Amino acid sequence: MRILVCIKQIADAESRPIITGNGSWAEYGNKTAYRLNRFDEHAIEEALLLKNADPGTEVDILSIGPERVKTAVRRGIEMGADRGVHINLEEKGYTSPLLKAGLIATYCKSAKYDLIITGVMSEDMMSGQTGPMIAALLGYPSAAGIIGLALNRSKYSISVRRELDGASACSMTIKLPALVTVQSGINRPRYPSLSNVMRAKTAVIEEIDQREKTTPALCENVHSVIETKQQRAGLVLCGTTTEKAEALWQMLHKKSLI
Amino acid sequence: MINRIMIMCEPRITQSQTETPDPGMVNFCRLVCGETPCVITAVHPCSSPSDATPIRGADMLVMIDSAFEHYSSSAWEKASLIAAEKINPDIIVIPHTAAGYDYAPRVAALMDASCISSVTAVENSDGRTLFRRSGFHGKLDMLYEAGKFPAVITVMPGAFTAEETGKHGSVEEIRCSISMESVSDITLTDTSESNPELENADVVIAAGRGIGRQENLELVRSMAALFPASSIAGSRILCDNGWIEYRYQVGLTGKKISPRLYVACGISGSPQHIAGMKDSGTVVAVNRDPGAAIFSHSDICIVEDLEKFIPAFLEAAAGHNQK
Repeated sequence: MRILVCIKQIADAESRPIITGNGSWAEYGNKTAYRLNRFDEHAIEEALLLKNADPGTEVDILSIGPERVKTAVRRGIEMGADRGVHINLEEKGYTSPLLKAGLIATYCKSAKYDLIITGVMSEDMMSGQTGPMIAALLGYPSAAGIIGLALNRSKYSISVRRELDGASACSMTIKLPALVTVQSGINRPRYPSLSNVMRAKTAVIEEIDQREKTTPALCENVHSVIETKQQRAGLVLCGTTTEKAEALWQMLHKKSLI
Repeated sequence: MINRIMIMCEPRITQSQTETPDPGMVNFCRLVCGETPCVITAVHPCSSPSDATPIRGADMLVMIDSAFEHYSSSAWEKASLIAAEKINPDIIVIPHTAAGYDYAPRVAALMDASCISSVTAVENSDGRTLFRRSGFHGKLDMLYEAGKFPAVITVMPGAFTAEETGKHGSVEEIRCSISMESVSDITLTDTSESNPELENADVVIAAGRGIGRQENLELVRSMAALFPASSIAGSRILCDNGWIEYRYQVGLTGKKISPRLYVACGISGSPQHIAGMKDSGTVVAVNRDPGAAIFSHSDICIVEDLEKFIPAFLEAAAGHNQK
């Protein structure tokens, strides 16, 4: 059984993006802390649970992006994955998920995985497109936003539970090879063990260089990046903590809410 | 120029759900077309013709196949491709629901189409149609252009007004024969548990990742106790952590509530969370990150650490009670 986990490295949620290029894009400063997308951490954990159940399972981690994303790939190896793959792609401005999905699908065609797992979306862009697109390009079935996964080895299939709107769910059986994207409730990601941390230090990450070759296809593009619209009054309270607390009490009292 | 739009109707997932497409999707299409005459066709995959109800403001293409009895990405992807071939749309509109985000990207990839997800507004700039969505952890908005047609656009549920207007259009029925070799045994489980305490509460004090430690939930509970008819609630992550039961989750996949007062404590304000509380009366947000997206959706914004602010608020309230 060969499993590929596709991960994304993102800027930490508290970092402040700065609008650049006359409003055409936004960038993070040099001091920004990057980390593994949390949904992808759950994807890695789900793959490792399958590996724990059957040690013959191989788990590869793949990420696409500039040099820095190797750190996220290494984090996957620290958690217990076997190998890392980095598709090196300089991202200047917007990169279409379909372009990334195409590069990953091309890699998968030769590497042949039984199961591909990724997070339901990235925390920063929240599109959730790349996973299902990879599956479609490979002709694999897929299920997005799963909260349960079981392998039926003898039938070469998986049983998944998908989250639906309004707290209902559905379950289904999907033939392998397949792709699933996982929701955060599916498991609790492990902390890396010391031995895996040591192993990750020397692990060689296979690099596929796409920096020169990729000409972006005609696709959707970002016209501009703008400040969010203030949807409500947005009154910011000032002063010390005690003053703010008192001001809030007064305002709620005036509205007969307290 | 956009003058042909196809809407994919939301599959019926729970028994209580209605079959008609969300009128908000039709209104979204009207905004996209503007003054341009436009043909809007709602595509309704179903297992028997009696399931289909005509809607206002759009023609309807009813697609019948036993594969449409239960939702699956395979069946809905195939329905979309067959319908797109027939309708030849400039834009394919799909609600950004649990079903929509499952199959919409597949349809886009197979048609080599542009794809823009969870759109919340349509804007026009120099004759160009722009689709607005949230990005960068909800801290900035992005305006997208389709770039080429067809484009697959998923639309955030509830983002567009849901009044039904216009005439009933024509209805056409086609029978399909879809093979479903890769997906089987689809079973629905309705795990939605009603929670009158939260659903009927006048005041909701909700906690998110920013509360940091499970023990801090006690602060949130103490704050809720100051108000009659109140409830606590949580964002998805707190429920995933097991700190709060899922029936207290607010958001697209949890409860949609509209209390008189909603206090968001340490909630960053993802679009999925906003969808569950945006109709609340007054919204107060407490967050130590001044750039948190939740502040754009709040009446009163407090940039503070919760561990300091809630005790201060409890003290202020106690002071007033003594008077």
